[in-house]
Amino acid sequence: MDEQKENDVIVEVHNLVKVFKDFWQRPKVRAVDGLDLEIRRGEIFGLLGPNGSGKSTTIKILLGLLHATSGNVLVFNRSPRDVEIKARIGYLPEESYLYNYLSPCETLNFYGRLFDLKNSVRKERIWQLLEMTGLTHAANRSVGEFSKGMARRVGLAQALINDPELVILDEPTSGLDPVGCRQVKDLMLTLAKRGKTIILSSHLLADVEDVCDRIAILYNGSIKALGSVNQLLEKQESVRFTMPSLSPDVMKKVLELIREKIGKEPEVDHPSMNLEQFFLEVVEKAHKATSQQSGVAPTERMADYLLIKDK
Amino acid sequence: MGGGQRFMMLRIKQFLAMAGLTALEAIRQPICLLLSAGCVVLIAAVPLMIMHTFGEDGKQVRDSALAFHFVFGLFIAGHASGTLLSHEMKSGTASAVLSKPVSRELFFLSKFTGITVVVMLFSMCAAIATLLSERVAEKFYFTNTLTGYITDTQTGAMLFGAPFVACLVAALINYRFKRPFASTAFVMLLFSLLFVLVMSGFFERNGTWMPYDFHVQWRIVPVSILITMALVVLAAIAIALSTRLDTVPTLVISSTVFLLGLMSDYIFGRFAENSGFSAFLYMVVPNWQHFWAADALSGGGNVPWEYVINAGLYAAAYSTGILCLGMFSFRHVEMK
Repeated sequence: MDEQKENDVIVEVHNLVKVFKDFWQRPKVRAVDGLDLEIRRGEIFGLLGPNGSGKSTTIKILLGLLHATSGNVLVFNRSPRDVEIKARIGYLPEESYLYNYLSPCETLNFYGRLFDLKNSVRKERIWQLLEMTGLTHAANRSVGEFSKGMARRVGLAQALINDPELVILDEPTSGLDPVGCRQVKDLMLTLAKRGKTIILSSHLLADVEDVCDRIAILYNGSIKALGSVNQLLEKQESVRFTMPSLSPDVMKKVLELIREKIGKEPEVDHPSMNLEQFFLEVVEKAHKATSQQSGVAPTERMADYLLIKDK
Repeated sequence: MGGGQRFMMLRIKQFLAMAGLTALEAIRQPICLLLSAGCVVLIAAVPLMIMHTFGEDGKQVRDSALAFHFVFGLFIAGHASGTLLSHEMKSGTASAVLSKPVSRELFFLSKFTGITVVVMLFSMCAAIATLLSERVAEKFYFTNTLTGYITDTQTGAMLFGAPFVACLVAALINYRFKRPFASTAFVMLLFSLLFVLVMSGFFERNGTWMPYDFHVQWRIVPVSILITMALVVLAAIAIALSTRLDTVPTLVISSTVFLLGLMSDYIFGRFAENSGFSAFLYMVVPNWQHFWAADALSGGGNVPWEYVINAGLYAAAYSTGILCLGMFSFRHVEMK
């Protein structure tokens, strides 16, 4: 029964409370207030909320970096302070916390060593991740010289070096250009297809809407809305059709029929490409026309080991 | 390999990776190079600066060089210990590492070990510079061809040039292979000093070739080792404090402990027999006088290795106690 539960529920949070205290141990801020949450294997779960709503605090408690004031937290059916479970987790912090004097290559090598990856595996993964994040040409530059977006990519790569079962991404697209954002979203979808569980904390609602299966909206440390994205966003009272353009006669007939049935004028428009799709097309064309690269090289390539299905 | 053995191997590998990274981080900070090279330059310059010593040049140079070793070492140990951990906790790199399968105790100990490695490398540079500087100092010289006071200018010039050559080589390596300048120069400084130590063995004090002989006073080495032990104890105190305090309070408290420890015999020791409180403080505050044995070298004296071993045991016991407190504190600290 327990084994089955571990297989299904990856993260379990019951009545979680976190109160930050001041120097004199007096309560200062109630960052999380009675949070209940269950995250299941293979889902992309979005944590949404304004600044200070308790998203990052919850994530840090899940990682054992902060201690819960009260309540129960289980990750892989064990306490988050259990060091062993962290071998199954990949974490991208809100800010890219990196050692400024190290290069991306050295950074990934260091994190790879913490997971006891064999030399050959480590080297292979490092290069695959550098290719995936478009940083091969900057592999030996100090991370301290990087732009925020480039550092974010190194952060993302370090979170994936151990091929984790649970990936916790805190604002993963912050500082990334639209190409990087799309890539991160594709990566999340790919990982979820492989049965990985992803917790995504973000302010960018469009990103969350694009990839999340379920979301929780936090405010003042407690959940105000929880459910699947479709369930929460769907307008049951309206219907939208998308079809090839109709001839004026057919269009007129269709509109007349609808008007007759609903008793008012329906809204009709042409679907348009969104700005993200348009931007990606322009950049792709520009990239094909250019031979030299100074920033991040746009790539659609995923690290091979992240695509291999688990046995 | 059994499960327990594999677990141990993993912990050792993690420990080595984190300690190595800490050492690398420390020596890549320009301040580390600045302090080390500055210390070597000052030690090299001592024989030029002292005058009117009534034939006591060797002693004066030795004492001054060892004092530079101690003072600059205190800055390096205090700065590295006081800033590295608190900086990691503040900047978030500690959170990033502790989100991996790494225990807090291991992380804390690896930070201390990394800093200890840097302190030891610095001490090696300072000790070699002290040996050479003492050799350079004006001494009475008596051979068939020459009798009188001679300064070993040849070794002095090589010693003085070592930090500059190290920086030049590091700059070339940086230009050619894009390796970080500060850490390369730090390592090159050690190699260049070793090179000067070896090369100086081919020359007499007056600059003529001779059968190989180092011509340095190896009895300075135990004194340098004692100073290194003091630096390691101070590093342990600073890193334990930095688990809860910011850089400035850590450095202020470490400096206070250092000053109290210097005067420990005077302000606590003399009351220890009659007052339990004084006896307690005398026991708790590290007594740095145990680690300052430069005076034992006057008049051709030596520091016995038994004394070095006993001081080492004292340093190890003291550091272990402090590190245990530090580990306990770090175990419960919350990562922001």
